[in-house]
Amino acid sequence: MTETQTEATSAEGAELTHRGCPVVHTDYTQETEIFGHYALLDPDREKARFLFNDTTDRGFFMLQRYDDVREGFQQHVTWTTDVRSALRPGSSNERLLPQDLNGQEHVKLRRILNQFFAPAAVRRMEQMATERCIELIEELKPEGSIDFVAEFAIRYPTDLFLALLGLPVSDGDFFLEWSEDYFNALLAGRPAEATESKKKIMDYFDQAVNDRRENPLDPDLDMVTRLVTARIDDQPIPQEDITTICLTLMLAGLDTTRSALGYIFAHLATHPEDRRAITEDPSLVPNAVEEFLRTFPLVIQAGREVQEPGEFHGLELEKGDVVWLGVAQANRDPRKFPEPDEVKLDRAGANQHLAFGGGPHRCLGMHLARLELKVVMEEWHKRIPEYQIPDGTELRERGGQLTMTSLPLEWDV
Amino acid sequence: MHIAIDEAKCMGHGRCYGVAPTLLHDDEEGFVAERGQCWKVPDELLGEAQDAADACPEGAIELLEQAPA
Repeated sequence: MTETQTEATSAEGAELTHRGCPVVHTDYTQETEIFGHYALLDPDREKARFLFNDTTDRGFFMLQRYDDVREGFQQHVTWTTDVRSALRPGSSNERLLPQDLNGQEHVKLRRILNQFFAPAAVRRMEQMATERCIELIEELKPEGSIDFVAEFAIRYPTDLFLALLGLPVSDGDFFLEWSEDYFNALLAGRPAEATESKKKIMDYFDQAVNDRRENPLDPDLDMVTRLVTARIDDQPIPQEDITTICLTLMLAGLDTTRSALGYIFAHLATHPEDRRAITEDPSLVPNAVEEFLRTFPLVIQAGREVQEPGEFHGLELEKGDVVWLGVAQANRDPRKFPEPDEVKLDRAGANQHLAFGGGPHRCLGMHLARLELKVVMEEWHKRIPEYQIPDGTELRERGGQLTMTSLPLEWDV
Repeated sequence: MHIAIDEAKCMGHGRCYGVAPTLLHDDEEGFVAERGQCWKVPDELLGEAQDAADACPEGAIELLEQAPA
């Protein structure tokens, strides 16, 4: 922001406003100690209903309260995903599908994909998901000491992602290295540094899609078969769109699940009463999953770009403005969730959280994510009910899209 | 008591039929099959109706004392 765009409201110029909003400079992209981002987000929400943040080239208007964020997600005709992240509004971002589509184009593609991610489809995956989870835990259990993030929390969703595409989970052995390399570069805003990994990933998807063209399965049960046989407006979906969908599912499902598992296990390792409650009564797990998603949101924001000028509860927006839909701030808004900092495993209404977004772009994989988190919590505590974080460990979290950089856990063997 | 499910607001989160499995059902895409409808809730399912309304992250489910005009 330049001075000409921002007017001073006080004689001292101490407090700046932009179109009536207080201007803040909070940088949400830096690595911090664990929970360092919530310590910035929560006070920002209480400063004013709307803020203007000037830490990016275009800046962004921050919607932070639960009701506003939800309404923002529902404002999908005038606010589009032409900007997906308020923190990274650049045009050089990776193309993602279906995210980057809006309106009817988006609906048509979602209608093809929805059935593979609906609760009924996810239930069909439960047995496989449980068996794979048990295998991985049994493999790690004799070690007695691991980095939970690197050795389990990323491996498990990677394997299930491959299974979703109808590929062997054992491919995770080599696939994980490519996806990690690519994801790290992407999050650092330097996708060009991982062109080699991306090429390996896209070649792998390309081969998988071609294989399904030659050996189709039941299109009602197999997603890739459905994608290669589906028609949108009488046209087949282009090969590069199908592989882009695969890439999008990979980008959306792996880091996020790792992150959620990290925060959940960091909490359970340090809160024996909650850990033991879950071990003793696994029926607590489904609501606990919702409460953890509410308390520890990792996608802290979604971006939108204003297509039509208009007013939002007194905030005047112009075409091209970037809007921040503050998912984490909404989930931790005391107006909606009393004592929002407290993890209450049996909290009523916890599942109204916005961790998966809202509106037509709400997370496609939300039910798969819920299944993964539930299965891990159940199966882990059956096998390793007691564990701890080694003394003296300093826990850190990455900015932007939150994730713990590591989580050492140890237990008696 | 009537229950009304706003078809435009329903985005298929699937929370409602999860907590109200007798009153509500899922379609093959994971949306609530009864979206766009408004009907009288049987007395024995009033609890489910309230749970469904409370569970919807979109605010798409409304409970109405009277049938809409």
